Amino acid sequence: MGGLLSIAILFLVAAAMSGCRLPRVWLALTLAGASVFLAAAFVALGGGPDWEWRSGFTLGGELLHLRFDGVSAWFLALVGVVGGAGAVYSREYWADVQRPDSAGRGRMWWSLLVLGMGLVLLCSNGLHFLIAWEAFALSAYFLITLERERRETLAAGWLYLAASHTGTLGLVGFFSLLAARTGGWDLGPMGDQPGLAPLFWVALFGFGVKAGIFPLHVWLPSAHSSAPSHVSAILSGVAIKMGLYGIVRFSFWLPLPRGAGWVVLAVGAVSAVLGAAFALAQTDLKRLLAYCSVENMGLILIGVGAGLLGIADRDAAWGCMAMAGAFLHVWNHGLFKPLLFLGAGSVVHATGTREMSRMGGLWRAMPWTAGLFTFGAAAISGLPPLNGFVSEWLMYLGLFDAAAGHTPGGAVMLPAAIALGVTGALCLAAFVKASAVVFLGAPRTKAAAQAHECGPWMRAPMLALAGLCVFLALGLVVVWPLLTRPLAAWYPAWNGSDTPSPVDGLAGLQVLLAVAGAMAAFGLWVRVRSNGMRRALTWDCGISCAALGMAAARAAAARHH
Amino acid sequence: MRLSAWLLLAPLLPGIINRVKARVAGRRGPPVLQLYCDLARLWRKGVVVSTLASPGFVAGPAVAWVAVLAAALLVPILPLGAALSFRGDVILMVYLLALARFCTAWAAMETGSAFEGMGAAREVSYAVLAEAALITAALALSVRSGTISMGSMLAPPAWTGAALLAAGLFTLLLAENCRVPFDDPTTHLELTMVHEVMVLDHSGPLFAVVLHGAGMKLLLFSVLLVEAVLPLGELSQAAAAGALVGGVLAVAAAVGMVESLLARYAFKRVPLLLTTAFLFCLFALLLAWKGGLA
Repeated sequence: MGGLLSIAILFLVAAAMSGCRLPRVWLALTLAGASVFLAAAFVALGGGPDWEWRSGFTLGGELLHLRFDGVSAWFLALVGVVGGAGAVYSREYWADVQRPDSAGRGRMWWSLLVLGMGLVLLCSNGLHFLIAWEAFALSAYFLITLERERRETLAAGWLYLAASHTGTLGLVGFFSLLAARTGGWDLGPMGDQPGLAPLFWVALFGFGVKAGIFPLHVWLPSAHSSAPSHVSAILSGVAIKMGLYGIVRFSFWLPLPRGAGWVVLAVGAVSAVLGAAFALAQTDLKRLLAYCSVENMGLILIGVGAGLLGIADRDAAWGCMAMAGAFLHVWNHGLFKPLLFLGAGSVVHATGTREMSRMGGLWRAMPWTAGLFTFGAAAISGLPPLNGFVSEWLMYLGLFDAAAGHTPGGAVMLPAAIALGVTGALCLAAFVKASAVVFLGAPRTKAAAQAHECGPWMRAPMLALAGLCVFLALGLVVVWPLLTRPLAAWYPAWNGSDTPSPVDGLAGLQVLLAVAGAMAAFGLWVRVRSNGMRRALTWDCGISCAALGMAAARAAAARHH
Repeated sequence: MRLSAWLLLAPLLPGIINRVKARVAGRRGPPVLQLYCDLARLWRKGVVVSTLASPGFVAGPAVAWVAVLAAALLVPILPLGAALSFRGDVILMVYLLALARFCTAWAAMETGSAFEGMGAAREVSYAVLAEAALITAALALSVRSGTISMGSMLAPPAWTGAALLAAGLFTLLLAENCRVPFDDPTTHLELTMVHEVMVLDHSGPLFAVVLHGAGMKLLLFSVLLVEAVLPLGELSQAAAAGALVGGVLAVAAAVGMVESLLARYAFKRVPLLLTTAFLFCLFALLLAWKGGLA
């Protein structure tokens, strides 16, 4: 395990050094590093033992201490997948030809971002954690501001930097207090020191800023929408998950204060509902996706909060269910959100605008992007038989079980479950609107009418992400055993081996539903073809003909003058 | 068998509602089985498709139909039980209905018509309140019964909350199936409609699938309403089956009466009405919660 991880780190360091000059070597090295991360994660999730390494080397006066368990592996898999997919995408999207001054920088910072996030997941020393944290936060800043000449981008970058450092300040406070109380920077399970409990609130603030939970999300929409799209993809899909990783990690290493579960659950519910409501109000495609990230962080925190409440309530099984949903949603959101951002990137690339009202009718010019984006939209709306549904279903299962069992804390589950439902409906509304306004109907501007499909380097990563979504949706039988690893690492009593998989009832049904849907669509298509199909203009009360006539008249008048 | 029951009985309910409306208005009205003839006729007809539409225009109604059918198969027909049943199936049912909504709204937007866009926007925004009410009702039943699978959740023993739930779910039924006072299934003024306007440009087999799906959804909600309210579990099998059939017919008659007596509400009053439905379900939920604690 140590070998795999160090090879990956070496690959990424080499990639960062080659990034400015040698794009092909960089791509190969980054892909290699990302895939080795992925391989290491799967070795650990497939049942490999936890790995811990203390070396004699010191950095900043502290001994190096790395640790790799189920929770780190779960997040590291995401770093590998999105790190690789975005690298491939950037080859065409942010190519040297169009961006001679920033493409090289972009490649270098990309590798450092991936590396930094990998190290955050490995470090088990407070000081080194902070260094890795800062390294990845800074790489993210330089990636957001790749396009320096635009005012808006710089403003977004500054806001990000300020917010990120407010969070880091909280974390510096957290780790120093921790070091002062425990007498060392070394991190590990500290459940036996109840005096540390209040520090959880500091950690929740520091990591919450990075995770973009409401009301600490102020930096997120502008940063994620102004950044280049492959950067938005990794920021939304993976970087904000690092904040979540911190919350998840320290919610089982620290002794928890009273009410921690309630607060996390409430913060999650508020973020989910408001994030979705704000997303619905956006007219900028990428801002919509960014607000939706706030919503999804909220959903995950609902699961985490319910999990914590479950532990407080004598290790109840419903807590395990909700936490499983939260973990699975980390992966799900980490796959379909990058897919959506990459799709949005293709659209922006093709039309030169992020305003949805200036698009329309793009499906004809870009059928691949349209299909893949819509797939992602359906998945993120939590619709069966796609993967977003599975994780939301697991969370519902936890909340409903807690309510049905009349557990003491169950009353708080009732509003949480209703919030989950409202969020789902709002998210559906936002994404029906987004995908339909962008891709359907008639082009509303000249740029939209002249759009072009993206090339293979941009299409391949989107296809790969969509393929992984399908795998998570239909391969539940394979996914559940993987899921038990981070659960067991998070709370050893839930080692999953003695409980039957709760997804068994759903697993077959998901496949059946997918097949039935495809067959029905095909059958109806055949029927329509055999009955005879005629194309005609959409009836619009003659408005468009009148408008066309007026436009023609105006054009004629202009020529005349 | 359940599959064929759902498929065959679905177009019956709209016919009954129309007959009730006609009788109240003093007309003879169309035959009860009129929708069957319509479906057969539409199924054989050719299709006109907008020049703007993508293949999703055909896939949308098909997937929506499958979703509603799958949701229906999850609902237990009480003496028989459901075709499929597992823990948490009630959530799958709610989300299958959401899938159908996604596909319908998508297919509506395919034509690029402003009217259909308005209809889709109305549909998805009403759905926010409707889904909250539906989840609340499901929670109430699950708290009441202490289980989370529909087979054991439905047909609870008689309780006060049932009346509240009946009011909430009936309002929800009217909203979700686009009946008066939320929508008017008979009008042809595009500006004022929700569901009807979304399917304006569907024709032939596509429209047949839409109509049949709508019938199934209406039947699903009626069965759900009856089973959520009446204590069918305490009756013998035959009595329960009779009560179920009677209850569904009564619901259809009630829908017909509402349509005869009420006019469609102004749009700004719709959210208020849906909130009322949500509150009914919420009070039922609180009653169930209190009752369980006592």
